[in-house]
Amino acid sequence: MTQFLTALQESAFSTWLRESESVLALPTILTLHTIGLAVLVGPAWVFDLRVLGMARGIPLAPSRTLFRVMWMGLWINVITGVMLFCADAVRKGASVPFLLKMGFVLTGAVTVVLLRRHVYGPDSAPEAVSGTAKVLAVVSIVSWTAAISAGRLLAYVVR
Amino acid sequence: MDLLNMSHDHLLLNHVPTIGTVIGIGLLLLSLVRRNDHLKHASLEVFFVVALLTLPAFLTGMAAETEIIHRDGVNPAAIVAHHDAALQAFALMQLTGAVAWVALWLFRRRSKAPAWVIGATLLLSILTLAMMTPAATLGGEIRHPEIRITEDAPPAATGWLTRAAIQLLVQDNRAVWPVAETLHFLGLCLIFGVLSIVNLRLLGVMKAIPFHAVHRLLPWGMLGFGVNLTTGMLFFIAAPMQYTTNTPFYWKVVFLMAAGLNLLYVTVSAQAWALEAGQDTPIFDKAVGASAIVLWIGVIYWGRMLPFLGNAF
Repeated sequence: MTQFLTALQESAFSTWLRESESVLALPTILTLHTIGLAVLVGPAWVFDLRVLGMARGIPLAPSRTLFRVMWMGLWINVITGVMLFCADAVRKGASVPFLLKMGFVLTGAVTVVLLRRHVYGPDSAPEAVSGTAKVLAVVSIVSWTAAISAGRLLAYVVR
Repeated sequence: MDLLNMSHDHLLLNHVPTIGTVIGIGLLLLSLVRRNDHLKHASLEVFFVVALLTLPAFLTGMAAETEIIHRDGVNPAAIVAHHDAALQAFALMQLTGAVAWVALWLFRRRSKAPAWVIGATLLLSILTLAMMTPAATLGGEIRHPEIRITEDAPPAATGWLTRAAIQLLVQDNRAVWPVAETLHFLGLCLIFGVLSIVNLRLLGVMKAIPFHAVHRLLPWGMLGFGVNLTTGMLFFIAAPMQYTTNTPFYWKVVFLMAAGLNLLYVTVSAQAWALEAGQDTPIFDKAVGASAIVLWIGVIYWGRMLPFLGNAF
């Protein structure tokens, strides 16, 4: 494992991302990661709030478009996140806060999938919000908050 | 005229909070006397825009300070006194702007703003003026010895809302900065989530949602903005030198001002409010919606680039 992480970290791409002075290297990838975070978590939170009963005037059916926006954010962050991991693989691979963050991201992403299935599934009544959906919405809010907090604190803990 | 020179911008903007508040209070009182809702609405919009402009007025003051603090005849203590008075007046101005925004939001939803919110706006704006006037006078005295009553520098402000107190808080607690950064990112998601959805509707995406339904979300975006203004000001006051000579910071504030005007538009616009389910938007609204999304992504971009294109760590 360590060998693999070392090889990853020493690849030409990782070295470029880590050491290049270019604005297109680390600055741009980090910025895209932040924008992706907003594009994913922002709409996810709003959908969660709607499921929990805020802004009930918003019909659920057309809100399904928000999931496309969320996937866009998720993909931006999976791609830029893998890049950022490669640049610092040995340390991140062994860092507990980082692995915690991955756990929260995974929980958040799975919750979004489950929530969409639950609200828009073939068996669910249109415009109805079940108790399970509300629980999923709370899990989503909490796991994204935890993922962002862990990610932000990584910058201060893992140095 | 060099608008990229922040000391210059401070001279351009520093009368806006005082004069703007006077105009807002005047309009609001007149609207109450004449029982005129249009005037009342206009006064609330004035408070919102003045609160918006008070942000760069405050931030550029810091740049002006670094320019003149070492010059002859400038007493650093006079600058600190001006800074702290301005900070407290700034905080009150933001509260006034926030309450005026709530009034505008309610105005749109109920076509009438309740008396309590108008009363609160009036009270806060008068308190703001009572703080802003001495702040402005103290600022004038820095470079105008002829208006000083004594040769001594005015006594420094006390309390928790002063530069010294905030810098001490950040220095003494290693957790404050990281925690504030985390809150700043969470607030960012809330702002972006709400305003991207509102502006996507304006752009014509998710047409099946009537505009008044997404309008209901706006207070959540304002909550995020409150969190980010508070944490952002904490960063700025704790380490101003990272920002006053930082080009991305300048553009971040410019983008933020434009995004703030978009927030005002989506809050009050009758044309947007009237968009029913299934209705497409006119080209003007499409342009407003698209530009707002670009502006908010821009705010994030400039913020994240602070340490890379600029000098923040």
